[in-house]
Amino acid sequence: MTIVPLLLYLVSGVAYAVHFARRDAGVGRIATTALLVAALAHTFAIGMQTMELHHIPLASLPTAVSTFGWLLTLSYLYLEITTEERTMGVFILPIVIGLQTISVLSPGVEQSDSVFDSPWFWVHVVSLLCAYASFALAGVLGLTYMLQFKEIKKKHLGYLYERLPSLLTLDTMNSRAMTVGWVFLTVGLTVGIIWTAQARALAPDDPNLQAMSLDDPKIFFAVLTWVVYSFALFARTRLGWTGRRAAWLAAVGFAIILLNFLPIGYFVETSHTFQ
Amino acid sequence: MHVFLLGVSHQTAPIDVREQLDFSSRDVGTAVETLAARYSAGEAVVLSTCNRSEIYVASDDPARARSELIEFLGSYHNLPADAFEGHVFVRTDEEASRHLFRVAAGLDSLVVGEPQILGQVKDAFQVAAARQCVGPVLTRLFHTSFGVGKRVRSETGLGEGAISVGFAAVALARKIFGRLDGRGVLVVGAGEISTLTAQHLRSQGVGDIVITSRTAAHADALAAEVNGRAIPWGDLRGALAAADIVITATGSPRPILTRADVETVSGRRRGEPLFIIDIAVPRDVDAAVGEIEQVFLYNVDDLQAVVQENLSRRSSEIGRAESIVSEEVERFAAWRRSRGAVPTVVALRQRFEQIRRAELQRLESKLGALTPEARASVDEVTRLIVEKLLLAPTAQLKALPDQETQIAYTEAVNRLFELRDDTPLTPADEALDTERPNRTRS
Repeated sequence: MTIVPLLLYLVSGVAYAVHFARRDAGVGRIATTALLVAALAHTFAIGMQTMELHHIPLASLPTAVSTFGWLLTLSYLYLEITTEERTMGVFILPIVIGLQTISVLSPGVEQSDSVFDSPWFWVHVVSLLCAYASFALAGVLGLTYMLQFKEIKKKHLGYLYERLPSLLTLDTMNSRAMTVGWVFLTVGLTVGIIWTAQARALAPDDPNLQAMSLDDPKIFFAVLTWVVYSFALFARTRLGWTGRRAAWLAAVGFAIILLNFLPIGYFVETSHTFQ
Repeated sequence: MHVFLLGVSHQTAPIDVREQLDFSSRDVGTAVETLAARYSAGEAVVLSTCNRSEIYVASDDPARARSELIEFLGSYHNLPADAFEGHVFVRTDEEASRHLFRVAAGLDSLVVGEPQILGQVKDAFQVAAARQCVGPVLTRLFHTSFGVGKRVRSETGLGEGAISVGFAAVALARKIFGRLDGRGVLVVGAGEISTLTAQHLRSQGVGDIVITSRTAAHADALAAEVNGRAIPWGDLRGALAAADIVITATGSPRPILTRADVETVSGRRRGEPLFIIDIAVPRDVDAAVGEIEQVFLYNVDDLQAVVQENLSRRSSEIGRAESIVSEEVERFAAWRRSRGAVPTVVALRQRFEQIRRAELQRLESKLGALTPEARASVDEVTRLIVEKLLLAPTAQLKALPDQETQIAYTEAVNRLFELRDDTPLTPADEALDTERPNRTRS
């Protein structure tokens, strides 16, 4: 089921790349249309899984990765439609395709655990995925900002200079994506903390619940992410850290998220590994 | 019908000759009307810009068209023919269309790829169209040229990149700030380039333009010119804090803005970018200013380098633009060839129609007994048979690959069906020429 969206994402990714290289508006429209169709197909797939499981497919890493890719696509489409700026697609689609490929190659079984019965669990997971999708956008915007900043500052106006939106546009979009992401991250973490405390009282024997502390790598990195983004927002408003500094923070923050989400999620046994 | 072009351009004639042969925009209309009425050309378009005066006509006899147009130019501008005849160039058919397509694409311009020429070509056509002085040939030719201009602009980088220091500065400002609406501009020292750059910025919708100069009168003059505001020289540092774009162009032998000056105001700018364009020689802004985060400093050499790069990038796109032109020349030539078959096709259709009518006439006595509906059916059926019989020959005649084959085929058809060349055209026959665009567009 998830292979169809993956193929559509690939088509769209190729079209975005051709659009970026040739700056052909027609190909750009094809790219957007393909991405819209891919997002619809993906929505349909997730909807089917939801009906089957009676909950959103998030309770195994591959399904969570796929849902993350879906949210990233939706947030990118929102950005593209509201700003009429298509050049970011070529940077976003590889991430979406990568996530979807991981999800297709490692089909996981949806876990069932008593903790999933709580609605707080879903608020926690969905908020964090929304936050990660926003931060992924912010990271890509930050990266492109830095590349273009370098070209203008060093006076080597080249390939990217001709294609990317203005520095201020990238910076504004970056700031918005980071703010939205920070709100979701804060909600997700807060709900996680409150709900852990409640769940511990109800199920004092659950080893996962007992292991949830800052010593746990997943929780540690999530809190570190929150610290990085909180600092980025503080520095922007109070210290005037806009532009390249903000772009750096966005890129570093997203690197931590990817590290936490994929290698740690897949290979490290944490309190968030449900069996 | 041939396309014939006679003209002078910056490639063939010095400025004094071009001036003498210039059709000011007031005269173009009458010139076109005179041409269309007085000479063998029923269709005429005059393209007159500061770099060229070109007359496009549709003519049966290109050799005669040349002498007619030379005579016209001489009498219209009150010049003896030998004063300009050595500078004119002529082109016919494919070469004429190639020339116009290259002009519309900006390939024949002094500054390759400049965009104004396409608008001028459109205007020239509109003037002629509004006076009913264009027919199918020139309408097709000019509409194709508009398409070529558009294609070259969208498919190649021929028109891309600023090619003057002022425009390069504006393009950079747009790349830093996006829209320039409401951005504050500070001009320090009034000079030619700073004035031009300020004017470009004004046309991009910037907010306040503040001007200061050691000589207050210069600042006032520039302020009036660009709709800005002059301030005393002493307020320079205060104005710096409010500006997003700074243009410096003073004659000062020492830098007037140091790193310390700009750093002092950076705190107040809250990380907003500052773009400084230093077009003074010697430089007005200390090079160390460019090291400050969020400050982009370009001097006149940097901007010249951008312009040079854009120029060389444009010239690397010429090949792609030329191949688009060649493609469209070929397409136009194919259309023109298909038009060569039109008289034969018309004659053939008339011949068939004559036979059909004659046969219906001959059977009149037998058909008389039929009801009106039945008679209409007979008429319809015979008409459809004729249509179907002619469908393939019409398409084949119009699609013949070259002129020689076309002459051979039309000759054969004329003989086989005993067609006469002098068959008069009726409006319905003209409609056969289905590929033709609208005759006029006003």
